[in-house]
Amino acid sequence: MKAITSFEQLEGYREKIKASQKKDLPSVLICFGTGCQANGAVAVADAFQEEIVKKGLKVGVNIGLKTTGCHGYCENGPLVVLRPKDVLYLKVKPKDVPEIVEKSLQNDTIVERLIYKDVNTKETIAAYHEIPFYKYQKRIALRNIGNVDPKSIDDYILSDGYKGLAKALTMKPDDIIAEVEKSGLRGRGGGGFPAGTKWRSCRAVDSDVRYVMCNGDEGDPGAFMDRSIMEGDPHSVIEGMIIGGYAVGAKQGYIYVRDEYPLAVKNLQAALADARAFGFLGKSVLGTGFDFDIKISRGGGAFVCGESSALMRSLEGKVGEPRAKYIRSVEKGLYDKPSVLNNVETWGNIPVIMQNGAEWYASFGTKGSKGTKVFSLVGKVNNTGLVEVPMGITVRELVEKIGGGILGGKKFKAVQTGGPSGGCIPEAESDLPVDFDSLTAAGSMMGSGGIIVMDENTCMVDVAKYFIGFLVEESCGKCTPCRDGLPRMHKILSDITEGNGKEGDIATLEELCDVLTYAALCGLGSSAANPVHSTIRYFREEYEAHIRDKKCPAGVCKSLITYSIDASKCTGCTLCSKKCPQGCITGERKQAHVIDKSKCIKCGVCKDVCNFDAVRIE
Amino acid sequence: MAGQVRKKVDTKQIDKIIKSYDKSEESLLAILQDFQRSFQYVPEEGMKRLSKYMGVPESKIYAMGTFYKALSLTPRGRHTCKVCMGTACHLKGAGQILETIERELKVKRNSTTEDQRFTVESVNCVGACAMAPVVVVDEDYSGHVRQSKVMDILDKYK
Amino acid sequence: MEKITITIDGKTVEAIKDQPVLMAAKENGIDIPALCHHPELENSGGSCRVCLVEAIQGGRSRIVTSCNYPVRKGLEIRTDTEQVRNIRKGVIELLLCRVPDSEVIQNLAAKYGIKEPRFFTDEGESDRNKCIACSLCTQVCEDVVGVSAISMQNRGRDKAPGTPYHKDSSVCIGCGACAYACPTNAISMKDEKGVRKIWGKKFKMVACSVCGKPYIPEAQVNWIVRTTGKERSFFDKCPDHR
Repeated sequence: MKAITSFEQLEGYREKIKASQKKDLPSVLICFGTGCQANGAVAVADAFQEEIVKKGLKVGVNIGLKTTGCHGYCENGPLVVLRPKDVLYLKVKPKDVPEIVEKSLQNDTIVERLIYKDVNTKETIAAYHEIPFYKYQKRIALRNIGNVDPKSIDDYILSDGYKGLAKALTMKPDDIIAEVEKSGLRGRGGGGFPAGTKWRSCRAVDSDVRYVMCNGDEGDPGAFMDRSIMEGDPHSVIEGMIIGGYAVGAKQGYIYVRDEYPLAVKNLQAALADARAFGFLGKSVLGTGFDFDIKISRGGGAFVCGESSALMRSLEGKVGEPRAKYIRSVEKGLYDKPSVLNNVETWGNIPVIMQNGAEWYASFGTKGSKGTKVFSLVGKVNNTGLVEVPMGITVRELVEKIGGGILGGKKFKAVQTGGPSGGCIPEAESDLPVDFDSLTAAGSMMGSGGIIVMDENTCMVDVAKYFIGFLVEESCGKCTPCRDGLPRMHKILSDITEGNGKEGDIATLEELCDVLTYAALCGLGSSAANPVHSTIRYFREEYEAHIRDKKCPAGVCKSLITYSIDASKCTGCTLCSKKCPQGCITGERKQAHVIDKSKCIKCGVCKDVCNFDAVRIE
Repeated sequence: MAGQVRKKVDTKQIDKIIKSYDKSEESLLAILQDFQRSFQYVPEEGMKRLSKYMGVPESKIYAMGTFYKALSLTPRGRHTCKVCMGTACHLKGAGQILETIERELKVKRNSTTEDQRFTVESVNCVGACAMAPVVVVDEDYSGHVRQSKVMDILDKYK
Repeated sequence: MEKITITIDGKTVEAIKDQPVLMAAKENGIDIPALCHHPELENSGGSCRVCLVEAIQGGRSRIVTSCNYPVRKGLEIRTDTEQVRNIRKGVIELLLCRVPDSEVIQNLAAKYGIKEPRFFTDEGESDRNKCIACSLCTQVCEDVVGVSAISMQNRGRDKAPGTPYHKDSSVCIGCGACAYACPTNAISMKDEKGVRKIWGKKFKMVACSVCGKPYIPEAQVNWIVRTTGKERSFFDKCPDHR
């Protein structure tokens, strides 16, 4: 490929590939996200390839075939989408492929057993955009994911890729920043700081060198928005960063990606190489005389490196500890130079804001939180996966409409947002609009967008203990409150869940929360108390039940529960007795079985294997 | 590690990895990660050579080796079994999955089986939350893992 | 150096722009407890969190560490409000949990009315002794001495200074600057029969030609001669007899 050196050439190239596309060609799009690949998408893709050849057809001539990034509905993978009709098939196996090719590609019929079936209404839906999971979404940051092949720059260009960049390069840097400010875009990594303001402050600092960085160290457990974007639409992040680099006056960009995301690294690397070959990166981007390039840096498995100053230290090849000084990174960031750090989703929004304008973007969302937000909706909900919705949607709508309600018809108890820095919002408060400010007011935070749904079988003390345990392991150890305070909090929470809680523990926890909040060095530490604070705020009675009555109302905390077998449900199939690692379940075939509680280690194997729901937890 | 025969580390391989990167402190972490991938751990000899080549004090490189979780200073097993402890997995019983593995393989989390077959680790979210609970062996992801089936997954790795 | 006035505990005082609030307070006779800050080390401070104060600037109030919070025009500092005292007490209690044997921390805790910590302590935990992981030792070794023999290792609770692989360091010169810098006397350094032992390594010492007292490790002399070009004969006599 010869580098593109002008805007006209770019448009010419776009027209050329557009013209070469066959319209209405029956096409198969196979999701190649991490989730679908784990569920066997590679074998499905191979089966399609094979079957098409076997039928004497040609890929690209008679039938289109491509692999895409994550569609978000990972729960039901591998996902296969058929174009032009937009039919979605779920949980496709290689053995289903011949039938799909024959019925839906060579002919115009639907394979009923592979389409969506609503668990509540039992209604079946074939059309992608009619499925509740997708129906209420507005995909801006995820606009290309699932449509484009992340490894094909042509595919991205075909979807109006690099149009935003071409437009931006004709503008004055200050005007680009003004446009981003006007769009109301706030940082999607958690802090919610206005992106345009950050860019302006960085540009205002007198310096010959500036940097732009992309935070792809998505560390919040239960969140995978950024992974999906880096894997499924890497060029959107790259294009956003080039625009940002031009606007603030940087020549070098860095993408810091979690080590746990190998596919994201691979796809980003390939995309960077392509972007260089096409002239979007390197010397004189698109012939404008603006030089810019991007390096990838893999993280090393440290949650704290999602914190901006720690991330920069890690990029510099040091231990990723936060900086203690009161200096903003827009003034002194990477290598002490003015730097802009935004997260993956923020960068991914930039090209389309440039292309469609700030007003268009600001027409979505609420007064204080413009645009859309990608959430990973996971936990005890029917439809789990990645969704993008306008800011201001309520928690309840997310859980009930898009998520299809709670798994197994159980009771909706709470959602947890914001990862270990966030908090829980109880069902009673779930008509709350999801935006930066309302979540913070409710004692949680937007965070990067993980929404974990909890049902009646979720113990809130256990959840608090889980997050504090997570943070104990991830604390960098630099400051006293986080390093030495979190293990003490964890001990108190463990005691409570083990039936050793005592009166006054809640007050002590609250005291420790204050020390963390006010005295910790970085954002990780100062927000670390949120999971405890918010669960005490909304679920105090659950803490009290553990402490006073030595009971875990949700039936989770091992020391406070017992396993038994419901004789009226047990069919005497003997399965549990065979699988019990302690050998403490006895009974005759076809007779109700009994657990010897003195030997039971409460491992839960019996409950897992029982097909008759006969194992009870009390 | 007591009683464990440590294979002699291939210094050629070490130098090859070091030289495949820019001579810059920025490359340190990436090089250490490549050591980890090549040798299943970061060998002392590797850190020493890296220190010399880059002109960075050994103490600093060692500090990195002990700070980043992706790096290990002792050899790992032939296979790495990661049990995801992300929030979604936690809610869906990842703790019990991990306990089952610990019990069956007679190993504690974040350590290696006596026969060097597995290193069992609890990890913080692999970002496959919709398939919770998730177990990753080497590079293979398994989703919706059930406690009673998890050992069938591990049996495939010898 | 631009001189400006700020308010500390209601008192108007003169201070240098950008100097740490802690220093400005000290110069004006206002005592704020602090452990991990050393005026000679640019990157020190911000780790122990004992020197917390309330800073009010531009109508916004927040709790900050005075050791690295810069003096700016219009700044108002409160070092002894109820909130500051409570949070600081909480931090000190946690330090006491970490190093219950440290006299320095015991004394500080006593001042804040803490007799026994309410939480479990790390007594007997590993070999970290009285170390509060403030990293002054490693900073001195890197920024002042320039050898970087030790570094802060591990993370979280296990964070502690040490030599690579916990073996004898190949670059340590036995100067003991780390031990002098340590605010809790956690680094063991023993001079015995002309030999200094520090970080597990033994250093032969040079004796003063006048008093005969061994006073400096040979390795340190070599280092100074090599890096500064000073005459070796300069070290024949100890500072008292030069």
